[in-house]
Amino acid sequence: MKFSISKEKFLAGLLQVQNVVSTRTTLPILSNVLIEAEGNGLQLTTTDLDVGISGHVEAEVETPGAVTLPARKLATIIKELPSDQIQVSVNGDNVASIECGPSFFKILGLDADEFPPLADFDDPKVFKLEQKTLKDGLKKTGYAISTDETRYVLNGINCTFKENTMTLVATDGRRLAMMDHELEFPESNEIAVIIPTKAVNEVQRLLRDEGEVTILIGHNQIAFELNGSRLVSKLIDGNYPNYRQVIPGEAKYRIPLERETFLESVRRVSLLASDKSNSIKLEFSENVISIMANSPDIGEAKETITVKYKGPNMAIAFNPEFLMAPLRNLDTDEVYMELIDEMSPGVIKINVPFLYVLMPMRVTN
Amino acid sequence: MNSSPSRKIIHVDMDCFYAAIEVRDHPELRGKPVAVGGSSERRGVLTTCSYEARKFGCRSAMPTFKAMRLCPDLILMPVRFDVYRQESARIREIFHRFTSLVEPLSLDEAFLDVSHLNSSGSAIAMEIRAMIQEESQLTASAGISANKLIAKIASDWRKPNGQFEVSEGEVADFMRALPVKRLWGVGKVTEKRLQALGLETCGDIVDRPLHQLVAELGRFGAELHEMAQGIDHRKVNPSRERKSLSNERTFAENLTSATEGLLKLEPILDELEADLGHAKNRDREICKSVVKLKFADFTQTTIERAAMSIDRNLYRTLLEEAWARGDGKSVRLIGAGVRFLSESGSDDDHSGHQLKLFQ
Repeated sequence: MKFSISKEKFLAGLLQVQNVVSTRTTLPILSNVLIEAEGNGLQLTTTDLDVGISGHVEAEVETPGAVTLPARKLATIIKELPSDQIQVSVNGDNVASIECGPSFFKILGLDADEFPPLADFDDPKVFKLEQKTLKDGLKKTGYAISTDETRYVLNGINCTFKENTMTLVATDGRRLAMMDHELEFPESNEIAVIIPTKAVNEVQRLLRDEGEVTILIGHNQIAFELNGSRLVSKLIDGNYPNYRQVIPGEAKYRIPLERETFLESVRRVSLLASDKSNSIKLEFSENVISIMANSPDIGEAKETITVKYKGPNMAIAFNPEFLMAPLRNLDTDEVYMELIDEMSPGVIKINVPFLYVLMPMRVTN
Repeated sequence: MNSSPSRKIIHVDMDCFYAAIEVRDHPELRGKPVAVGGSSERRGVLTTCSYEARKFGCRSAMPTFKAMRLCPDLILMPVRFDVYRQESARIREIFHRFTSLVEPLSLDEAFLDVSHLNSSGSAIAMEIRAMIQEESQLTASAGISANKLIAKIASDWRKPNGQFEVSEGEVADFMRALPVKRLWGVGKVTEKRLQALGLETCGDIVDRPLHQLVAELGRFGAELHEMAQGIDHRKVNPSRERKSLSNERTFAENLTSATEGLLKLEPILDELEADLGHAKNRDREICKSVVKLKFADFTQTTIERAAMSIDRNLYRTLLEEAWARGDGKSVRLIGAGVRFLSESGSDDDHSGHQLKLFQ
């Protein structure tokens, strides 16, 4: 196997796939990237057996062939090489020689035949949508994914295709983010799956603002095909909680807020949220919200913003991180906060089908 | 504080509890090196081992593969927590025949306050141990003294199947000769450090001026000074509810960078997660995450934040924040833990409590 390739392209290809390789692995070959040289380029593939990713880069292939090399080490080497033209040749013992200007590296690889192939799908359900839509949806919901490994069904995004709508939901049991997007597909394609966090993160790195992404869903597996790359992941096997029932119905009060202003006020005030309680209080009175926090050993903070609010005086406490997360990840100028009372969930909405449900904190004073 | 009339505290400690139960239930194991724990293939550790196994150097909490190397004939029995719990309940019932002031420390040890009884502490301990042996065919050791600290040290004195009393008049002498490593919170590394300061026994600590100890060891120095005199005012608390759970590790060599610390944090969190998985903790609701660092100069810092689960990223952040408090000091111990919501449902320090959308 022998090929030459530009440093820039090789590095870009490696960076795209290297995130998947696991750091702690019992199977050494899973630390490696599979390099298959054929036709007009290289196919680069990595996997940790749960998530696998494969991408194509242009190269001049002199002798086709395949080998696996330590992914992170290889990326580091390529990054440091002194000039743009790189020649790689691999002998029968899977030893790769990398030449670039005056540099010469000899890297021990493992046999490509032992690399676990990415799964193929029998008769998958296929969906096509704009990359921008998926990118936007994952950004608006992904931060609410639970990191509690004991609740594994929540360690991902629940993705439902039903009644010509794609719905993305993430929750950790205290807050929930949900986005709907209209999409045409045959009724026979209706399905609900849970995409694990790692796959969500990796596909987000691949998604661009232009072009299409094809989603293939097979038995317990999902694949994303975009920009010449393919990401395959296992799905989380389990029942996602019935989230519809925790979304409050009719709100009593709907308060329009300037997103940036509100976010910045909360961020400033939260500097004095005590480490112990980690809560901030929002006090609503006519046309004013006072945002307050106090830390017994340090002091207190208060900021007021003018809003349109005609309801009774009311105080509600939230975890500031949970309140800021959607504000950071939305991009509209205006958001709406809907409230019922101080013990019921608050809801943040925008002018498109998105909502964020947040349980308050009970504060005993 | 003057702890008015003198108390009678007994610390009862079952001898190799889990292993002893296994030997009792499998008589063919008698006289052989026996351990209870997880298998080495699954990277298990020993929870207990018999005295025969201890002769080979096996210890509880030792990785099983290491124990097998020290003692190739070691008989490893799987853990049967249900049986141990049942046996533990039976033994606690015996304690309650004497006093309602029973504070279990774990399945196999407890403090009893028998101040209200007329008999001597020694006589009561003797009776309790005889009852345990008769009713469960297991042996226990006991320490008797005027406070928890000394009773616990004393229960080790005549182990196995023995007891030792330190009367009030004997406390000073008893403590003076006591090696520092017997004190709570003094492990191998601290012991070395104390030795380097010329502190081998509790007597050495008592003779050292308090301000010097504090200068050398921080707040821990003050605690040591009290402990070394055998002073302990803690009550026997029967309704002690586990308020927190943590796991810590002292390093043979101090860590000099937060990056190093982050690497060491992972296995500590692994263990914490495993401990939380145990039945006794499974139903408890977490309300806070805590990270503790002890610096090279023995000062320590603790940082905690509201959390409802083990969020590794949060622990990493807390570790980095705690590290920054050290102003570049190297670190000798890292601890990570959780605080539980008290079972009554409210947080004991009256701070906020996050409500849930669903369970």
